[in-house]
Amino acid sequence: MTVLIRFIIIVITLMFFSFFYLYINDDKYYPGADFTISDMPDFEIKDLYSERLFNIKDLEGNYLINVWASWCITCRVEHSFLAKLDSKDIPIIGLNYKDEAQDAINWITRFGDPYKYIIHDYKGELALDLGVTGAPETFLLIDGKIIVHYRGEVNDMIWDDVFMPIIKKESLFDAN
Amino acid sequence: MLTKFFLFSTVIFSSFIISESLYKFDSVEDEKRFYSLIKEIRCPKCTSGSLASSNAPVSEDIKSKIIELIKEGKSDQEIKQFLSDRFGNQVLYNPGFSKDTYFLWFAPGLFLILILLIFFFRKRT
Repeated sequence: MTVLIRFIIIVITLMFFSFFYLYINDDKYYPGADFTISDMPDFEIKDLYSERLFNIKDLEGNYLINVWASWCITCRVEHSFLAKLDSKDIPIIGLNYKDEAQDAINWITRFGDPYKYIIHDYKGELALDLGVTGAPETFLLIDGKIIVHYRGEVNDMIWDDVFMPIIKKESLFDAN
Repeated sequence: MLTKFFLFSTVIFSSFIISESLYKFDSVEDEKRFYSLIKEIRCPKCTSGSLASSNAPVSEDIKSKIIELIKEGKSDQEIKQFLSDRFGNQVLYNPGFSKDTYFLWFAPGLFLILILLIFFFRKRT
């Protein structure tokens, strides 16, 4: 009997270690990525530069939504990557999150504008409906449906592992 | 003396100006519901802290949203559903029974049975 108990103890310990070994070494595991498909919530938000109101009908086709703010340091890090995506003609809609309009405009003037247009979500209303917890966050939308929600900085690695497989599968943006 | 008294009373009474409660409710029941809800809902930005313990911007937003929903007459269940639709099941401390959570619910029972079995067999030998 004691042999069996010893055996069980050893097996459980081995299982425990192998579980964490596999868990830590899983390259495809991204805690920030959420692949739950959901509808884009309805909204009515002003453009950053003008009084023009945007709503859900202005968004058509396939595009990215990037949540950013001038107070967000990681957004500054992510910015050069967004410029790279923009140079590949991937449409990105900027969602300026809880930011003063003037600060946001100054930031864009200084660091460049990779966005097709920018909506100014001063109170974070649309962001709350999208389940945004902070900035930066990026969404991939296909025909008005949210396919990917990524919380955190998007860089080459995240782009290739989280976004690219879906973009290739659906052959979006000329799959580049 | 008069100046001292004036300064002293300024310090004492100034706290009353800012002591007004931060959130406004229609009734005492609503207030109670709000404070029990924010203890049951996790702040999505925190590792494991409730909304009640968090001052993160997103928690402040969710708290004002909860007040708005309470005022609209939504039930606790509807409010929880509203938030888990947006932020995922992990915002609820008490996760529902689904295919992702069945192990979570059954594991303690399984371990108990396992331990009892070991105990039972040990006694026999």
